[in-house]
Amino acid sequence: MRRLVLPFVVLVLAAAGCVPKKAQTPQPASSNLVVLLPDPGKTTAGRAMVSNDKGSVELNEAGAAVTVTSGAAPKAMTLAQSDVQRIFGDALASLPPSPQHFVLYFRFDSEELTDESRRLVQEVLSVVKQRPDPEVVAIGHTDTTGTPASNVELGLRRANAVRTILVDAGLPASSIAVRSHGEGALLVRTADGVFEPRNRRVEITVR
Amino acid sequence: MGRTLRLWVVACACFTAAAPAFAQQPSPAGRIKVVSGDAVIVRGGSTVPVQNGVAVYQSDSLRTGKDGRVGVTLSDDTQVSIGPGSEVRLDSFVYDPGRGQLALVLKFIRGTAAYVSGQIAKLAPDAVRLETPAAIVGVRGTTLGIEVTSD
Repeated sequence: MRRLVLPFVVLVLAAAGCVPKKAQTPQPASSNLVVLLPDPGKTTAGRAMVSNDKGSVELNEAGAAVTVTSGAAPKAMTLAQSDVQRIFGDALASLPPSPQHFVLYFRFDSEELTDESRRLVQEVLSVVKQRPDPEVVAIGHTDTTGTPASNVELGLRRANAVRTILVDAGLPASSIAVRSHGEGALLVRTADGVFEPRNRRVEITVR
Repeated sequence: MGRTLRLWVVACACFTAAAPAFAQQPSPAGRIKVVSGDAVIVRGGSTVPVQNGVAVYQSDSLRTGKDGRVGVTLSDDTQVSIGPGSEVRLDSFVYDPGRGQLALVLKFIRGTAAYVSGQIAKLAPDAVRLETPAAIVGVRGTTLGIEVTSD
């Protein structure tokens, strides 16, 4: 058994880019359980593949699970909701609040918000205030009118305008990161020199 | 005590690194968002006390005692949390979508964990690898529970 376990442990460590310092010391056998869960706020789940050098099992619905022991092929099983709670309740309860994304739009060649986005700011603020330790990233973007260099500046002015709104509402400036992609990351792909309101935006992530 | 203070100074300095003027300094991979009980970050052989907002870097481990829990959100929106008596290591984290540089390797060492995938899994699913002692997990936009027990 040890002869089987050791090469596998070495393989796993090598795959992680680590050279095992005590390759001659056999590792204790490890028993692992992986369960696919519904995505936050949804009933549907993604997909995952659990593999080792003995085989692989695909997980494609909530509750689908795999047990795998060092040196043996993964085995498919199903985990009841009560078992998920018993085993993973503490870990799941410690997941941070889901990151949220917002897009605010701006007037042409300006760091002034459109009327609609002005209203959306209130929603951003209420999400920020619900979090004990909010962290905000604001990335400014422009359309392709103007030069790339001036658009990087315009994007930064837009992102800074958002920062000012959040700071005025009481968020510490140190928890807001501001960047600009200028015309380098268009939401709607256009040729150069094209007016496109949907590209004049600040993308906000609240974590 | 002096060491704690120094760590705080470093933590604050790194937080400031998010500002454009310091864009060349390494930025945190993520931040601690949830913590209770006995929990630490293990960084290069020493331990850093865990509090809300503390930065987490590539190569850091999160480790909990028997009553500890901790949750972190990485800068690509990936979320990882661990229950009591657990440890997970952020072996690799690269999030630079503008240059197409993306990598996430998490090593689940012991105990229980929950994982919610983020932007890296969305943009480049093959750049995400979750490792347990006995297997490797590949993801396609996924929430998972992972338990590692040693016999």
